[in-house]
Formats: sequence, structure tokens, C-alpha cells
Amino acid sequence: MFDLLATGLSIVLNPMTFLMLAGGTILGVIFGAMPGVSASMAVALALPFAYSMKPVISIAFLVSVYCASITGGGITAILFKIPGTPSSAPTTFDGYPMAQRGEAGKALGFSLIASAFGGMVAAFAMALISPQLATVALKFGPSELFAVSFLGLSVLSCLDSDHIVKTLISGLLGLLLACVGMDPMLGIARFTWGNSTLLSGIEMIPVMIGLFAITEVLKQTVKPKKIDAEKDSSSGNGQMGSVVPKFSEIWATKFTMIRASIIGTVVGILPGAGATIASFLSYAIEKKVSKHPEKLGTGIADGIVASEAANNAATGGSMVPLLSLGIPGGNAAAIMMTALVIQGVQIGPMLVKTQPEYLASVFGSMIVTNIIMVIVALGVAKVFAQILAVPYSILGPVICIFATIGAYALNNNTGDVMLMAGAGIIGYLFVKLGYNSAALVLGLVLGSMCESNFRRAYTLTNGSLYQIFTKPITAVIMVACIIMLVYPFIKPLIKGKKTA
Amino acid sequence: MDLIFSIGLLLGSIYLFFLVGAESPAASATELGASFWPRIILVLLMILVVVNIINYIKTAKAEGNSLVEGVDMIGFFKSKLFIGIIIVFAMALLLPYIGFIPSCFLFLMAYGMLLGDHKIPLAVIRSIILTLIIYAIFQGALDIMLARGTGVFRDFALFFEGILPF
Repeated sequence: MFDLLATGLSIVLNPMTFLMLAGGTILGVIFGAMPGVSASMAVALALPFAYSMKPVISIAFLVSVYCASITGGGITAILFKIPGTPSSAPTTFDGYPMAQRGEAGKALGFSLIASAFGGMVAAFAMALISPQLATVALKFGPSELFAVSFLGLSVLSCLDSDHIVKTLISGLLGLLLACVGMDPMLGIARFTWGNSTLLSGIEMIPVMIGLFAITEVLKQTVKPKKIDAEKDSSSGNGQMGSVVPKFSEIWATKFTMIRASIIGTVVGILPGAGATIASFLSYAIEKKVSKHPEKLGTGIADGIVASEAANNAATGGSMVPLLSLGIPGGNAAAIMMTALVIQGVQIGPMLVKTQPEYLASVFGSMIVTNIIMVIVALGVAKVFAQILAVPYSILGPVICIFATIGAYALNNNTGDVMLMAGAGIIGYLFVKLGYNSAALVLGLVLGSMCESNFRRAYTLTNGSLYQIFTKPITAVIMVACIIMLVYPFIKPLIKGKKTA
Repeated sequence: MDLIFSIGLLLGSIYLFFLVGAESPAASATELGASFWPRIILVLLMILVVVNIINYIKTAKAEGNSLVEGVDMIGFFKSKLFIGIIIVFAMALLLPYIGFIPSCFLFLMAYGMLLGDHKIPLAVIRSIILTLIIYAIFQGALDIMLARGTGVFRDFALFFEGILPF
């Protein structure tokens, strides 16, 4: 086990590879921090560089771009309320309010430290117990994956405890949007009204960009709110003096960081689950176990740490099914797989035995990247935070343009720009009426996974619901789901009884 | 407003419930069918929307408010929000025809003015510079394809692509 780690470090600490990793990290953070350039797009943009490298170095390089871009996505989530990736969406809940309060630097500092910690935990876990984790991941069939995605959905009940009904309605609307297009099992068109564009379904990225970025610009249009670059700077000159939180402040989030990293790693290894479920789940669990749950969402460090540590840990976790089972967990992993296959690497169960250096290279690269990333991302964050000093009459329209590019570049389709604009208006309506945009995104992200796995499980068990729900892993996760869903409703009753 | 939105959602859900049933073939013993999942979602949605409507009516009655409290359509059409929505949609609609460069410039100008940037010459110069910077970064350095538009606008975009140094 430790051999794998030692081999990985010896590969990535080679001067040439190290230089490539540093370059990949810089590219990744910058790409990720650019609104409209998602993690998968960042990996795709880095692909041409990887072709000219040796296969072992190229996977290390692409991993560094991937990890760094997820972290970079958190930067825009905090500063502009544009999550670079869906997994950064929960970061906006506390990161953006902190930025609005003039604590952008501190919020970014927490985000980067939590990201690095989550990534490191995942890397070490992968290096030490990846064969065992891969075996566990193989035990997850359709019914277990349905339970995991349902667990992600059960988060809905605790996203906004003041508007539970409206949050659930928002989540259901997201699930309904995920039904648009071809049915995942039979290929039958649903809710398309004969429109061929709708056959491919509703793209998540334009909806997310619209709900978060466009809505925010519309809000600022109606009621402008000054965002300070850094109000609490010790230097007092508008510079990001307090970008690194105090040690005592970081120490106060230690349990959140550990919890989120474990959740991220575990969820990350599940094929098809990924960073989005990890970050939402981690945020929801934080809300359940926190001593001050009412403060989450108002701009506190715990919320940022819960989301960022989990999504970075999940990127590490997602490398296990990719390399040991040949199952890409998401778009970025699929692009990396393509790069390796083109270079003649045989990805799958035999990789660990025949070419263990690839696995070692990934682990080594993740550890080193997460260290370099803190330094690089702090520099990038400082530059980006200065953007907040730009008047909103310039910044707002530029954010809209970045959002437009992000939506358009996905498929080179102007229909996605219309979708983004529509989502922006719906997002504004949601804000005004007390509905929850994050719940809609969560429903949209998990809808297809939930439906396809449930229906697959139903077919595999010859239509026996009993067999689906009595599988040990499924049963345990479903019980957890029910507790999470029901708890907000029975909590007032329990409290009432106690006071009586 | 919430009541109108909820009633709209309820009616929409009822329509979609019957639509998805009519579109999909019947389920079999081992396959739930294409309409099963959306119908579950729609039933839950209808129940929750009804709960929301009841909650709304109860709250409105308790506070002595009118059921259509807060609806000001005339005010909305005169608001900055409405103009902002129009500008965003105008850009989305114009993008396929006039391409990225002109629509970016026009959008930066129009939205900047809406947000209080009233010095027109300065706004024009700033919009041109920002458009060129954004275009150079995404189309040039990052090689991300941006909309070219049609006809003369396409030729214009191709001309710019030709002079990019990357």
C-alpha cells in the first residue's frame, strides 16, 4: 500500500513532472476561476498539452488541472455567485454572503484550505486503501446507486428549514426538468412537444448559471448592494490582507473539514455519484450536526468548508472507479480516460496489476497538486478579489457575458443561452417568492441518475420492490434518507413535547 | 404573486400528468414505463402545491391581506428589472444572428447604462475595450468557439478570427 504512495511521489517529484504539475495547477486554477469554463472544459483545454507528454506524466498533469479547476470554481462561487461547477453551488450559500459582508478574502482562504485538505485526505485514502475501496464500489449496483442519489435528494428537506414546502416544490421542479427529453431506458420522448432540440434534455450548466449568476445580476439591478473587496483587512488599504484565516479560525472548523473530506471521498468513489452529491450531502449533514444550524447560509466558514472539502475529496475519489474499474465518474474523468486510451493505456481492473505506476502517478499528483494549489490559488484569488472593487455597472454586464459564454460554449448552441436567460428569470421569481434555486439544481442533477437506476433495479429484480429495498446497503441508505426527510417535520413536535 | 404562481404550477402539473401518460406506451411486469417516474413527481408536486396554496390562504387571512397582495403589473413593466430582462433576452435572441462581438458590445453598453453608467462616450470606449479583451481571451487564448452570426456579421467575425495572434 505504502509502495504505491512512494512510487507516486517518486514519479511526480521528478523535476520535469513537477514542473508540469505546477503548470497544470496554474492552468487549472485560472480556468476554474473563469466564469464559464467548467472543470471538464478545463481538462479538455489542457488535453492538447497532454498528448505530447509521456502517458504517466500526462495523467498526473491532467489530474492536477482537474483538481485545481474544481478549487478555482469555488473562487467565482464566492466572489460572483457563479459556481464554476455544480459541485461549487453549496459554496455560494455562505461564500457569497461573506463576500458581500466584505470578507471575500477570508472566505476564499477557507475555501482553498478546505479544498486542499479534502484533496489530500482523498489522495491518502486512495493510496492506502484503493483496492478495498474499488471492491466496495463494485458492490454498488442500480438499487444502491438509486439509494445514494435519493440520499442526495433527501438533502432537500434541510436546505431551507423556513420554507420546507417551497424547497421541496423547487426540488420536484428540478426532477421534472430532468425528465425532459429521451426516457433513459426506452428512448421515448417526454415533454418535447415534437421539438428535436428538447430530445437531448435540459442542460444543467446553463440552468445553473442562469439561476445563480443572471438572477444575482437582476437582483443587483433592482436593489444595488455594494460589495467590498475586503473590509476587514488588517492593512486597511483595500488589499486582501486577511486572505489566510487565522489558525484558530481554521482549527474551529476541524471537525467539519474531516467530516466533509470523508463524505467526499466515500461519495466520490461511487461510480456515477460524484462531487455534486458529495458537496450537497456534506452541506446538509453539516446543517444537521452543527451547533448553530441557523447560521449556515448566512455566511459562515463552516458552510464553505463543508462544501469545498467534500467536492475536492470527491475528485480524488472519482479517480478510483476511473482507473481501477474503467468507469468515468463524470465528464472530466471521461476526457482523461480518452487521453489515456489514445496513448495506449489499458484502463480497467487489470491496470492496478499490470501498470500500477498510473495509479501511483494519480495519487502522487493529487498530493503535490493540493500543496502547490494553495499557493497558486491564493495568488489567483487575490487578483480576482480585486475585481470586486470594479463598479457594478461594469462588473454586472461582464458577469452576464461570462455566463453567456459558459452557456454557449457547452454545445455551441444559442438555445442554451436562451435557457440560461429563462433560468435567470425563474431564479429571480424563486428569490422573490421564497423558493429555492439550489434545490432545483439538485433535482436536475440527480433526476436522471435516480430514475434510471431505480428502473434498472426494477427490471433486474423482475419487478420486485421488496428485493430492491431489502438489499443491505440499499436498506441502510434508505433508512438514513427517511430519517433525513422526516426529521425537519417531526423536530418541532419533539421540541413541543419536551417543553410541555 | 405566490398564489398566481402556485395555481399556474398546479394547472401545469395536471396538464403534464395527462400529457406524459398519453405519450408513453403502457408499462410491463418488469419495466415501469416512461411515464412512471414523471407521474410520481407530478403527483407529489400537485400535493405540495395544494399545501402551499392552503398555507398561503391561511396566512393571508390571518394577516388580513388580500389574496393578490403584492401584484403590481404596471409597476413591473416600468421597472429596471423588466428592462434588464428585456436586455438579457434581446442579447440571447440576437446572438445567433449578429454574433458575439456586436451583441457583447451592445449588451455591455445597454446594461451598463441601466445600472447607472450614464457617460455615453466613456461607456462606448469601455464596452469596445472589454469586448475585445473578452473575445481575445476566450476565442483567442482559450480557443473557445463564440457565436459568429450570419451574413455580414459572420464575415466580420471571421475577419477578427483571422487577425487574432494566437
